Amino acid sequence: MAPISLILSFFLFISPALSTNSEGNALHALRSRFKDPTNVLQSWDPTLVNPCTWFHVTCDSNNHVIRLDLGNSNISGTLGPELGQLQHLQYLELYMNDISGKIPKELGNLKSLVSMDMYQNKLEGEIPKSFANLKSLKFLRLNNNKLTGSIPRELTTLSDLKVFDVSNNGLCGTIPVDGPFRSFPMESFENNKLNGPELQGLVPYDFGC
Amino acid sequence: MGSIQMSHIMLFFVTLAVALGGISTDSFWLLRIKQELVDPTGILENWSARAHMCSWHGVTCSDDQKHVVGLNLSSSGLSGSISRDFLNLTSLETLDLSSNSLSGLIPAELGQLQNLRILLLYSNSFSGKIPPEIGFLNKLQVLRIGDNLLWGEIPPHIGNLTELRELAIAYCQLNGSIPVEIGNLKHLTSLDLQMNKLSGLIPEAIHGCEELQKFAASNNMLEGTIPSSIVLLKSLQILNLANNSLSGSIPVELSHLFNLRYLNLLGNIFDGEIPSELNKLAQLEELDLSKNNLSGSISLLNTQLKNLETLVLSDNAFTGSIPIKFCLNNSSLQQLILARNKLSGEFPLELLRCSSLQQLDLSDNSFKGELPRSLDKLEELTDLLLNNNSFTGSFPPEIGNLSKLENLFLFDNMITGKIPVEIGKLQSLRAIYLYDNQMSGSIPRELTNCSGLTEIDFFGNHFSGSIPETMGKLKNLVILQLRQNDLSGPIPASLGYCKRLQQIALADNKLSGSVPLTFRFLSELYLITLYNNSFKGPLPPSLFQLKKLRIINFSHNKFSGSIYPLTGSNSLTALDLTNNSFSGPIPSELAMSRNLSRLRLAHNHLTGNIPSEFGKLTELNFLDLSFNSFTGQIAPQLSKCAKLAHLLLSNNELTGTIPFWLGSLQEIGELDLSSNNFNGTVPAEIGNCSKLLKLSLRGNNLSGKIPPEIGNLTALNVLNLQRNSLSGNIPSTIQQCKKLYELRLSENFFTGSIPADLGRLTELQVILDLSKNNFSGEIPPSLGSLLKLERLNISYNQLQGQVPASLGKLTSLHVLNLSNNHLQGQLPLTFSGFPLSSFLGNAKLCGPPLLSCSELSGQKVKRLSNTAVVVIITAILFTSAVICLIMLYIMLRIWLNWRQVSISNSDNGNNGSDQQKREEEKLVYEDDHKRRNGEFWRVTVPSQSQGEVQNHILHFKMDSKAMNNTRVRV
Repeated sequence: MAPISLILSFFLFISPALSTNSEGNALHALRSRFKDPTNVLQSWDPTLVNPCTWFHVTCDSNNHVIRLDLGNSNISGTLGPELGQLQHLQYLELYMNDISGKIPKELGNLKSLVSMDMYQNKLEGEIPKSFANLKSLKFLRLNNNKLTGSIPRELTTLSDLKVFDVSNNGLCGTIPVDGPFRSFPMESFENNKLNGPELQGLVPYDFGC
Repeated sequence: MGSIQMSHIMLFFVTLAVALGGISTDSFWLLRIKQELVDPTGILENWSARAHMCSWHGVTCSDDQKHVVGLNLSSSGLSGSISRDFLNLTSLETLDLSSNSLSGLIPAELGQLQNLRILLLYSNSFSGKIPPEIGFLNKLQVLRIGDNLLWGEIPPHIGNLTELRELAIAYCQLNGSIPVEIGNLKHLTSLDLQMNKLSGLIPEAIHGCEELQKFAASNNMLEGTIPSSIVLLKSLQILNLANNSLSGSIPVELSHLFNLRYLNLLGNIFDGEIPSELNKLAQLEELDLSKNNLSGSISLLNTQLKNLETLVLSDNAFTGSIPIKFCLNNSSLQQLILARNKLSGEFPLELLRCSSLQQLDLSDNSFKGELPRSLDKLEELTDLLLNNNSFTGSFPPEIGNLSKLENLFLFDNMITGKIPVEIGKLQSLRAIYLYDNQMSGSIPRELTNCSGLTEIDFFGNHFSGSIPETMGKLKNLVILQLRQNDLSGPIPASLGYCKRLQQIALADNKLSGSVPLTFRFLSELYLITLYNNSFKGPLPPSLFQLKKLRIINFSHNKFSGSIYPLTGSNSLTALDLTNNSFSGPIPSELAMSRNLSRLRLAHNHLTGNIPSEFGKLTELNFLDLSFNSFTGQIAPQLSKCAKLAHLLLSNNELTGTIPFWLGSLQEIGELDLSSNNFNGTVPAEIGNCSKLLKLSLRGNNLSGKIPPEIGNLTALNVLNLQRNSLSGNIPSTIQQCKKLYELRLSENFFTGSIPADLGRLTELQVILDLSKNNFSGEIPPSLGSLLKLERLNISYNQLQGQVPASLGKLTSLHVLNLSNNHLQGQLPLTFSGFPLSSFLGNAKLCGPPLLSCSELSGQKVKRLSNTAVVVIITAILFTSAVICLIMLYIMLRIWLNWRQVSISNSDNGNNGSDQQKREEEKLVYEDDHKRRNGEFWRVTVPSQSQGEVQNHILHFKMDSKAMNNTRVRV
């Protein structure tokens, strides 16, 4: 058996870039992380020019993805950094699934995001500080997960934030009181290990966890 | 018949001869062996009693011509099996049955051929286990039985074959581990166990094979480390352990194997650094350590490994760059593959001294900086792969001197500038991939001198200008990918002469003109994408001749005329002509492409019916005919398109009823029939479309009720029935559509109350629009559960009663319209931020932002708010306190004046000074007033002190009057 053939078989021959669209690639990468027993992602064909005709994906008139609707879809698996490439995404609806692992900090790149609904999953780790970059965010629902750590103070700069629900997690530390946090009801923070609203004044407000 | 009789007679005589203890028994057994073989080519024809056995094909006899000592039937097209009668050929020394189609077991009886030295059974279809009896062949020197269907373990008895020189059992399905008895084979020079399912460790005892020159066990499941005893295999020249699960570090001991020419450890889980001692392997020609977990810097030096021809280190985690003094001046290194590592730094100039390099692959690393202009020193280069790095700067024109270059991959870098005209000198160039860079300028016409080019991919750059007119010179071109650039001008007509073209992708440019007539010659073409350009005019009818077309995307251009020229191929799978100006009917020929799965013709001027022939398109998944002028009914034949997932027919002039058979489309996820002239009712069968996500029947003439079966659409996200003539109640089953995020039922004639069950649609988000209907009764408080709802419109109905306080909890709501109903009473406090227009036309509604409820009730009693009361009371208290203080002060002054008067009366002789004192006192007063009132209080000073005091009192009255005024204003 000619041993040289083994080496040469290694020399990769790359096919041309006939299907290149970053948003479609990002979603396809996300799909590869998911277990999808009910085949809701069946229509996600990466060879199409864009993902706009995939089910559960909605685009605007410029063929940019603006909605991802995978709520209550029996999906398990993890999220990945590629989600951050959906620059025009406004609605990220992943609620009521079995998604685990950490929330990727790259979600902070979603500059157009209006609503992030990831409630009732098994997400763990911290709420990324990078969420402070989500300047269009109005609705952030992360309740009923396994999130830990403190609520990042950086989120107080999100002036459009109307709903912030982190109830039923394992968060700790104190609750911010600045910015939009002035108006969130206490129910949004229930069932955590939080120490109540932060103290302002001479005492440093964040004791950590 | 005669010959058969004859052969029977012969066999009888031979048998007789054996029975008499005859001399040539081997021939008898050979004929018996022949009987079990199938010989389609007749190679054994001369095996018959008519000729002497020693002249039979493949037979070698002993010197005395009495015994068979060798039998070679290799590559003879034989099938059948090995006869047990072989055991009788006791003199047999060589048996070669390799490369046939023999099957069945390897008979254990072979173990009795005590004189056998060479046994070659490889490349057949033998099955079963290796018989342990093979261990009895104690004179055996060569045993090659690989490339069969053998399974089971390697019998340890093989260790008895102490004379064995060569053992090859590759390409079988052997399992178990390599027997330790292998170490008994002291004379073994070649051991080949590749491509089996062997597991376990490489036995330490392998060092017993002290003459071993070649050891190949690649593609098994061996694990553990390479035993250090391998250092004793001093003769080893070839070591191939690729694609196993070996781990640990690469043993330094390998560096003692001075004769090693070939070392392949690819596809294992070795980690750590490469021991620099490997540089001692001066005979090494090929070294492959790719696909491991190796790290650290590359410590190998061509200057020491003087005979190295191939070095493959790809798919590891090596860092740094190529070591200094890596290359030898007259190096023989031809292949250097370092792809997919973590190498960094500038392009390693050191490599330019490896002048024999033919293939250089640095792809998928972190190299940066410019490509060296002196790259042309690598005159022998055929493949240059620098893709997926961060190279910047321009494309060096000197690359044009690499006259042997065949594959040039620079994609996914940050290369800028133009393609140099020198590219035209690359006569051997076959593939040039420059995609995903920042290159600009025009595509040089000289590129078309590269007559060997088969693939061009310039996707995602900024190339401008026109496509060279001389493209037609590239007779071998198969793929032309120019998508996403700034190219303008027409498609050159000569492109039609590139007759081997299979793929043309010119989408996302600024190209104009029409499709050249010459494209009719592109008979191999299967993909053409021209979308997002400015092409116009009718298509050349001759395109109908292109029979291999599978994928066509001409969307977003200004093509006009008939689409008929694109319907000639019966192989179409996707046709997208969205947003052009095509007109006329859909040709029924389109239905000849039975594999068509995507047909998108939206936003054109197409007319006529939807062809009933579409019923033959059983693979059709996506049908978008919206925004055209199609007429007639939806043909019932379409019900046979069972794979339809998207059916988009909106904005046409379609008539008739909504077909009930839509309910049989089990894959349908998106159904849009909006803005047509459909009449009749919403068919109950639609409830069978269990995968339906979006349903829009908006803007038709539908009447009757919403069927309760709508509740079966449990996957539904969007339901739009707006602007029809639907009536009756909303069925309460709608609460089962739990995934609805958008619900529009406005502009119909719905009656009854808004069902409280709508409150269960807790995922409603985009809008709940029930406006412009005849809903009556009260707003159900349950709507307060729609916590995600952003828009609520229930305007223009007959709703009455109060707005439930629960609606105040809708924290996500930012558009609200309750206007034009009969609502009354106080609005929830949280609604104060909505504009007035949200509530107008409800005469009895009150509270912010509307008038306060008390004002609305018409009572003129001025009721003050709590804050106003507090302000007023504070003002009164403050004023009275000030008055008291001042009164006190004045009393004090009066009393003092009294004293002064009495003193001056007693001191009459000092009148002048008294006058002066009074003047001073006046200034004090004035100062005091200035402080109190914030203004200078000018008084004409009367001569009498009494008048002065009165003046002050007067001033006080004025002050308190001013205060009264403010109170009035409150």
